[in-house]
Amino acid sequence: MFESLDDPIDVLTVFVDGAMRPLRFRWQGRVVPVRQVTGQWNRRDGQSVYRHFAVQGPRDDSYELCYDTRSACWRLNRAWTLPGGTP
Amino acid sequence: MILLVDMDAFFASVEQQLHPHLRGRAVIVCGDKDRRGVVTAASYEARPFGVRAGMPMREARRLCPHAEYVEGNPRKYVEKSLELLEIFLTVTPDVEPFSVDEAFLDLSRLGARGDTYEAATHVARGLQQRIAEEHGLGASIGIGPNKLIAKMASGVEKPRGLTVMDEERFRGVFWPQPVQALWGVGEKSAAAFARLGITTVGDLARAPEPLLEQHFGVVGPHLQQAAWGRDRTPVVPYHEGVDPKSMGHEVTLPEDSRDAAFLEGTLLRLADQVARRLRGDGFAARTLTLKLRDFRFRTITRQRALPVAVDDHVSIFEVARALWREHWKGEPVRLIGVSASALEKKGEGEQIELFARDERRSALQEALDQVRDRLGEASVVPAGSLAYRRALGHVPFGAAQRTDADAPGKGDARVQRRATRDRLAGRSGYDDGAERSAPDPTQLKPRLDKRRPAP
Repeated sequence: MFESLDDPIDVLTVFVDGAMRPLRFRWQGRVVPVRQVTGQWNRRDGQSVYRHFAVQGPRDDSYELCYDTRSACWRLNRAWTLPGGTP
Repeated sequence: MILLVDMDAFFASVEQQLHPHLRGRAVIVCGDKDRRGVVTAASYEARPFGVRAGMPMREARRLCPHAEYVEGNPRKYVEKSLELLEIFLTVTPDVEPFSVDEAFLDLSRLGARGDTYEAATHVARGLQQRIAEEHGLGASIGIGPNKLIAKMASGVEKPRGLTVMDEERFRGVFWPQPVQALWGVGEKSAAAFARLGITTVGDLARAPEPLLEQHFGVVGPHLQQAAWGRDRTPVVPYHEGVDPKSMGHEVTLPEDSRDAAFLEGTLLRLADQVARRLRGDGFAARTLTLKLRDFRFRTITRQRALPVAVDDHVSIFEVARALWREHWKGEPVRLIGVSASALEKKGEGEQIELFARDERRSALQEALDQVRDRLGEASVVPAGSLAYRRALGHVPFGAAQRTDADAPGKGDARVQRRATRDRLAGRSGYDDGAERSAPDPTQLKPRLDKRRPAP
């Protein structure tokens, strides 16, 4: 099931043709490679703009990452955990 | 020729498209899944189990315990809706986004390339293909000579259906159906028609016009025309904008409550949200409506007309609270809502008088709006609404949603696009994302009789 989180994470990011793309992130001491970015959307609150990414990990695990363009910080918003354990 | 593109199980499908592990599985989109509330959307895999939008979550969990319950995210769906709008605009500039998951396309400008049933069918197939290939989503499309027929045709075959209808076929399909199948006829109207012996769309078409006028006023003959498949409502392209008819917010409470202080705090929060939206779009309201749903799912709405138009949360709250104190009998409340209608553009009519009369309040409101525009919606909130927020386990500064206070100017594509995004977000009917309130699907997909354009 999806787990709602708000965990700070470190993300290795690449910028290509003016677009940013997360490549891998560190969460709970593990490094999760991003196999595929399946979608993205933006959210604004006041003057802050948040860039959201839906991504897939190596084992069909699924995450939603959020980049705060103002503070240049990443957070993990949601993770889909495989039955019986962590993703 | 008019097309109505209706996205199939839109919210659930977007989640399935974003998260591949959900594809082929029963997905139920809801508010905070740890709280109660109602189902916002159900994927087609969940529907055979009897799960429907609007159903209480407890019932959905009983019917479909193995489903994946996903917390909805309105911004996500609005962004997707705008991407789909880009596809529609490659066909014709005359596109009217009708809700976050529906849009009318007027093909009459295309001449022979779109204004025949054959050509429109070709265009519709092309759209379905692009939507599937580029977004992995399904759409059902209705084609008709007017918006009414296109809209009703779109619901005949789902998912990924394509239904072409002229007036004659419309009558063949819909005349035998219950009168409630007609766009614009809700539960209450259907009951009123039944009292006159009108139970099918065909009955309504053949009813004596004076009888309808006598019982329903001007709406009666208008609905009768609709029963014949006649409709002259134009498609209003998105770039021309449409002024909203009402703005409202409602919330399903974490648990049924008869705590007056908490409920009034909730009202204050809702009044504040409504006021903020009104000011953001440059409107003031002359009518306010309170909505209450009790623990037995009985819903009442009570409204009050005002001598002057208002757009500040104090005025809105005072009226809502007065209605509340007048009509609440002490029973546990499940859902509470506030909406504003009879909207006037700020600066018109008596609004000038109001603002001249209360300059201090107006200046304060402006300053507070500036703070929120800069720091976010939850940076300043009415103190009286904090009890409500605490009850939701919500941290005020963790709020999420922004109501754009920039008044959109027509003609600027970027600004118009933003305005369209905000309109769609408003129509999506979600409460603040940060409030984690369960969205009410009757607002997410408003009842047709409420959305029916005025004749």
